[in-house]
Amino acid sequence: MNVIKSFCLMIMTIAMNQVYGQYNDLWIPDTLSGTQFNLNLVDTFAQMRPGNQTITEGVNNKFWGPTLFFNQGDTVHMNIQSFLNDSTTIHWHGMHLPAVMDGGPHQVIPPGTIWQPYWKVTNNAATYWYHPHLHMMTQEQMTKGLGGFIIVRDPIEAALALPRTYGVDDIPLALTSRRFDASNAFVTTNTSYGDYMLTNGTLNAQVSLPKQMVRLRILNAEMERAYNLGFSDNRTFYIIATDGGLVDAPTPVTRVIVGVGERIEILVDLQNDVVGSTLDLKAYNGGFSLGFPGGEPNPNGQFGSLLNNTTFTVLHINVSNPTSNPITSMPATLVNNTYWTAADATVNRTINVTNGNPGGQPFDLDNTPFALNTINKTINLNTIEKWTITNNNVFGHSFHIHDVEFKIISRTVNNVGTFDEGWKDVLYLPVNSSATFVARFDDYADPEHPFMYHCHFAPHEDGGMMGQFVVVDNSTNIQEQQEAKEFSLFPNPSKDKLHIAFQGENFEVYYIKIMDAVGRTVYMLPRPQVQNGIDISQLTPGHYFLQLTEEKTKLTTTQQFIKE
Amino acid sequence: MITRSFKSICTSLSLVLIISVVIGLQSFLLNKETIIGNPVNEFSLINVDGRKIGLNDYANAKGFIVVFTCNHCPFAKLYTDRLNALNEKYKLNGVHLLAINSMDSILYRDESFVNMQKRSKSEKYNFPYLQDGDQTVGRNFEADHTPHAYVIWKVNNQWTIQYSGAIDDNGEEPEKAKPYIENAVNALLKNEAVTESCTPSVGCKIFYRK
Ligand SMILES: [Cu+2]
Repeated sequence: MNVIKSFCLMIMTIAMNQVYGQYNDLWIPDTLSGTQFNLNLVDTFAQMRPGNQTITEGVNNKFWGPTLFFNQGDTVHMNIQSFLNDSTTIHWHGMHLPAVMDGGPHQVIPPGTIWQPYWKVTNNAATYWYHPHLHMMTQEQMTKGLGGFIIVRDPIEAALALPRTYGVDDIPLALTSRRFDASNAFVTTNTSYGDYMLTNGTLNAQVSLPKQMVRLRILNAEMERAYNLGFSDNRTFYIIATDGGLVDAPTPVTRVIVGVGERIEILVDLQNDVVGSTLDLKAYNGGFSLGFPGGEPNPNGQFGSLLNNTTFTVLHINVSNPTSNPITSMPATLVNNTYWTAADATVNRTINVTNGNPGGQPFDLDNTPFALNTINKTINLNTIEKWTITNNNVFGHSFHIHDVEFKIISRTVNNVGTFDEGWKDVLYLPVNSSATFVARFDDYADPEHPFMYHCHFAPHEDGGMMGQFVVVDNSTNIQEQQEAKEFSLFPNPSKDKLHIAFQGENFEVYYIKIMDAVGRTVYMLPRPQVQNGIDISQLTPGHYFLQLTEEKTKLTTTQQFIKE
Repeated sequence: MITRSFKSICTSLSLVLIISVVIGLQSFLLNKETIIGNPVNEFSLINVDGRKIGLNDYANAKGFIVVFTCNHCPFAKLYTDRLNALNEKYKLNGVHLLAINSMDSILYRDESFVNMQKRSKSEKYNFPYLQDGDQTVGRNFEADHTPHAYVIWKVNNQWTIQYSGAIDDNGEEPEKAKPYIENAVNALLKNEAVTESCTPSVGCKIFYRK
């Protein structure tokens, strides 16, 4: 019996290897830098497996779009144009910016629309990312590959002798997996775990890395699975950065857990490896207790997958010759972080993971499923707050908050582990545990537009495990409802630039939307810089509506213009 | 096994969430029953040449290949040559291809009647390209994505759906594809049952206005 069984298994394994066993070269996303970024959101398709192409979405045509390089201190202007079949939003994960620029579920970009957010980059040098955040559609659109990395540079990081030649000794790795149906389409419903590993969108990825110190920027871009990462020879590697910046000093580890939404930068020393030798970065996800996202043993079904409860390769590394100016040693210290402490916090909040029992309501927070028009928390500008997230529930989660980077100060299990160091915007929350962080909510008050806090498991977020907060500035008087201020558009008709003439003083624009004659939104312009007029040269001639919302009163007025 | 898998595609109780992109409303579309064998009502839609066209305009037709497609969908665009070839091949046998655009032309500027005319001309369509302006025909067929193809055949003097799904199973490599539509039409022309009568359509979701 046993003999027959193993024989069958062998045939299966061989057959699988013929189809999936070859390594494919890791896709290193293209790069964009400067202060003006043009991102086109498109429907496309890719030959991922033999047979039919897989329908994907992509930024600038690729499943997993360009890596955006920002310099701290620059003001970056994004020009997002959607050619998608469906509406979407694009969220700048980890960025500290005004809520109206944040790309949360309220900033819906319909098909054919241009959205132009901008902000001053204040984040520390680290690895961030952008991805869709349309409520109830996040899993589907993230699964299709809409998203990309953001790499922030700053002077402190730039002064350190760290690998930073992108694609050579500084490699971004977006870890995800996918399940395919019989026609090779991604499965996006009733599925939480993929059956096949995709690294930067590449199945069975391999990369050549030089025989020197190499930096890997690892992002868990999964729907639910956490990764317990390590190298196949159990070598020590060094954590140099987490979500929101460098840690104080490189931390040696042999394993690190990266939860959904989290980023980690590591240094791995390949100087003692032989050129031509190989090494695997693996997910040691076998044998975890139930509740570890990735530990459920079923090979199929909604919560199972072929990769669950197994050890699998995330990246196959071929060691190649060193570069001409290799980094050969590691700085002993990196940065001197000053963190908020519990004593700094003037407001304490608790958030409980609730519901989500099999057959019951989906997971939510504080028994309150997400509602687009409900603000769950109001935070005063410049307040340092302490939040305790408690998960006395059936499953692990990844808690993410927009606007801020926080410091985890305590946990009830595992203490504050290596993966919790540094500035964070996501925390992995195991079952039956609490985690407490402190954060300062500064710079950007907007009583109108909320930020999100939520579970970063897309199926949980889509299911309502999300809340909203506004940051308010009580030092300025909130104006009573008053008459909208008058403005006029000139020249009208207009060909290239449309100017706005304001009646009266202190006129600030909160939002401009331009709609065509049948009501399609063509431009979404949060806080547009209108001094030099609005560029309408790309519009097709015709009749348009300009809907202007004032900053102070948030009153909205609509006027018409003709594009020649 | 095979019958079951058809069933699961055509009869699965699939809860499809639609975010109606223009009006922001959500609705649930419940696909409950197999549509194979369902009757097809006569329709009359405007063609890119300005004429109204319906099934009854083809007096001696044995069957139709009805393809829901559109202008903007990258995956649908891959099938242009195949649609011309299918029509060329089968119209002499009394099986005519009709392309229907049920995409919301308010939502998508690309789907205007003028742009349909342009596309029909530039791609040298040898078949009618009909605008389903109020989406009634697409809704009645339960067309899911562009392209979504149907083979309809006369049974007891009534047009009925005999195949629903993809045109074939490989968008970019037609030479490697399993030709679902051709297989279905060939079988029907020989008075045989269609063996694979239902496959999932793959491409861009058609959103129906409420
Ligand atoms: Cu969760």
